[in-house]
Amino acid sequence: MKTKYLYLLGLLLLGGFVSCELDNYDEPEALLEGRVVYEGQPLSVRTNSAEFELWQDGYALNEFIPVYIAQDGTYSASLFNGEYKLVRKGGDPWLPQLNDTIVIQVNGKTQQDVSVTPYFTISNENINISNNTLTATFDANKIVESSNLQEAVIVLGKRFLVDENIWDAISRFDADEISLDGESTLEMQIPEELRGLEYLFVRIGLKSNSTNEYIYTQSQRIEL
Amino acid sequence: MKYTLILLLFFASFASISCDNDEWLERDPKNIITDEQLWNDPQLITSLLANYYDRLPTCHGVFNTGGMTEIDDAMWSGHFDQNWRNDFQYGYDYGRYWDYTFIRDINLALDNLDTFSTDIAESQKAQFRAELRFIRAFVYFELVKRMGGVPIVTEQLIYDFSGDPEYLQVPRAKEHEVYDFIYEELEAIKSDLVTNNGSQTRANRFTALALESRSMLYAASIAKYNNLMDTPITLPGGEVGIPAEMANSYYEKSIEASQKILQEGGYALYDENPDKGQNFYEMFMNKGSSEIIFAKDYTNSLKTHGFTFENIPRSLTEDNEYPSNLTPSLNLVESFDYLDGSEGSLNITDGSGNPVVYNDINGIFSNKDARLYGTVIYPGTNFKGAPVKMQAGVAVWADTDYELLASQELGANYTDGDLWTGADGPQDNTQFVSNTGFYVRKFLSDAPGASLRGVSSENWWPWFRLGEIYLNAAEAAFELNQLDVATTYVNEVRERAGFPENSIANLTLDQLRNERRTELAFEDHRYFDLKRWRIAHEIWDGDINSENAAVYSLFPYRIVRPGHPDHNKYLFRKFIPTRFRRARFFRLGNYYASIDQGVLNNNPKLVRNPFH
Repeated sequence: MKTKYLYLLGLLLLGGFVSCELDNYDEPEALLEGRVVYEGQPLSVRTNSAEFELWQDGYALNEFIPVYIAQDGTYSASLFNGEYKLVRKGGDPWLPQLNDTIVIQVNGKTQQDVSVTPYFTISNENINISNNTLTATFDANKIVESSNLQEAVIVLGKRFLVDENIWDAISRFDADEISLDGESTLEMQIPEELRGLEYLFVRIGLKSNSTNEYIYTQSQRIEL
Repeated sequence: MKYTLILLLFFASFASISCDNDEWLERDPKNIITDEQLWNDPQLITSLLANYYDRLPTCHGVFNTGGMTEIDDAMWSGHFDQNWRNDFQYGYDYGRYWDYTFIRDINLALDNLDTFSTDIAESQKAQFRAELRFIRAFVYFELVKRMGGVPIVTEQLIYDFSGDPEYLQVPRAKEHEVYDFIYEELEAIKSDLVTNNGSQTRANRFTALALESRSMLYAASIAKYNNLMDTPITLPGGEVGIPAEMANSYYEKSIEASQKILQEGGYALYDENPDKGQNFYEMFMNKGSSEIIFAKDYTNSLKTHGFTFENIPRSLTEDNEYPSNLTPSLNLVESFDYLDGSEGSLNITDGSGNPVVYNDINGIFSNKDARLYGTVIYPGTNFKGAPVKMQAGVAVWADTDYELLASQELGANYTDGDLWTGADGPQDNTQFVSNTGFYVRKFLSDAPGASLRGVSSENWWPWFRLGEIYLNAAEAAFELNQLDVATTYVNEVRERAGFPENSIANLTLDQLRNERRTELAFEDHRYFDLKRWRIAHEIWDGDINSENAAVYSLFPYRIVRPGHPDHNKYLFRKFIPTRFRRARFFRLGNYYASIDQGVLNNNPKLVRNPFH
């Protein structure tokens, strides 16, 4: 009886020793991360919308790796060490640069800020609340001459992730309410159901007619 | 002994001289049909064609329940496993189609017909050839409307093993070149198809004209509306985008084809039943209906489909599980006009926000376009002669306001002894019962056993019907500034739907577009119509509060307020159902689906579509 268990134990140990062959690939340990910037300033987008493409040459299977950009404009990808090419594709609130790839040497933890040319940017934003009216002042800057401003939004949310699709309140403004040289001021009423809260998250967004994605300000927490 | 020897010698000599006939060993195989046999036997060719007709491509059509729930006309109320259909974003690969296997099969068949067919009449050969080319044109139309300009391959691509496959890499044609190719093909073959005239399931002259009518309209509207966008969607090589100046000639080609069908085709808008709503429904059900130009046919015991099984109202199913998947939205219901010509929004609440009270549960839908009845099963109507039992719950008066109470158990009675929640729901956040307050009627078969998996349905799928041709002609006429012609065509279609004569006096583009939405709902048009008008990204803008992009429900409640005149009457509640989680969101990059990376890798001459 006892020997039977001993044999079994021996067999298991034997099995354990011979079966533990190493996998031929390590898990990806290098990390590529960075921000999307214009003139050194990070850009802010809709969550789950903008993306880059990463390519690596020299393999039979030529597939790109999608790199998603977070709401605050940061991105990261787990990779193997090596040379990658990063493509700024279309459909985002900045100019596509399909023929202008960025070559990145990934080695361990690699930082790489990606500079893009947005159609518009928002600067010097300032948000005030008084008497349940939210007043946003900002400078809208046109970067790409051929593109025109289509719409502006102010979005309010109870949670940190807010954009044109995820919000608790939204106010839309036509392009002619926005000044392209100098400061613009937009006002919106905070809806009654949000007035009792302690705080809200606010973003301002601008949309160019060249894309269907807005460029935003960073999600900003305001106390009510 | 001597006798045996002689006999043996005799047999030996017999064997040695008799076997010099090699032909005797040549036998036709019994399990393979050779090319010579196939291409000289009209019956075998017809059976091969049946396979090709069966493979005609579609996106949301041909009883594709799931696909129909992925736009704003409906949502998925079936198994929770597939609730992603109510919670997804159109990926850049949405609607991708790249079936060059089929193109190659057709090209091979065309070659073989020329090589091997020696015994059949030249006229019959011409007809087969024309049918194959029709199918090929149909496939190219599907390719161009989903992918933009694609490589035009009209013969087999055979590798010569020279080590250089470069000559097999066909680049993408311009978008308009593909539409031109379709037009030229159809023009070339239509006279060879006259022998099929009268058939509703094989391509004939009018089927070719119907494809011309539709495809030229698509080309024209892309030429016009793409260039009206703030930033037109184009590629430098013209693979995507059609020059604006080509719009008029395409509209002219389209209307010419449509008018030939209207004048010479011998088809008529189906108008047999004085009950206009039932008439609209029967138009799809009665095979041989004078309106159908080209259909995909089904027959019991041979080839059936499960559309009725999948979508029949819960209490009427003959099967034991999985009914009620496709449930139309309130948005679609409201897009049907009132018979007096006014816009179709329902009166749910009055000006001060109080619910409007109706005597009957279907009172809110009275005086609507009869096509609403023919397309959607709404509360208070029948299907298969049985009433559909829809009531979401009761509205109990609680001093100042109505409290809406729904029963967990379908078909239960409330404490006052009358119905609480109907056997067909609707019920929010449940599966296999309508979550929107509506069921689909169009294409839902009322034949015995049609909702039973062992029997299934045999009603056919209309690829082209006269109603669409009228609207194609109206749209082309409108764009060509022939306003009178356009108005006449639209009014004829509306008259069949129960409207009085000349119900539209001053036709607008929006009315024309809404007419297509209602007349052709669930017929695989809406998605492509919005694309070619270049308004898909405005309609489906991803905003959950948008009436267009989100699917809304309408639930009826019985009022419980004893002693009050409103007792046992009905009120309605409009809301976004819990299971509908994400508004339809169509991005500029969705106007053309992305080409698979494997395809791009195999052919370096292909360029990617914009935004991908």
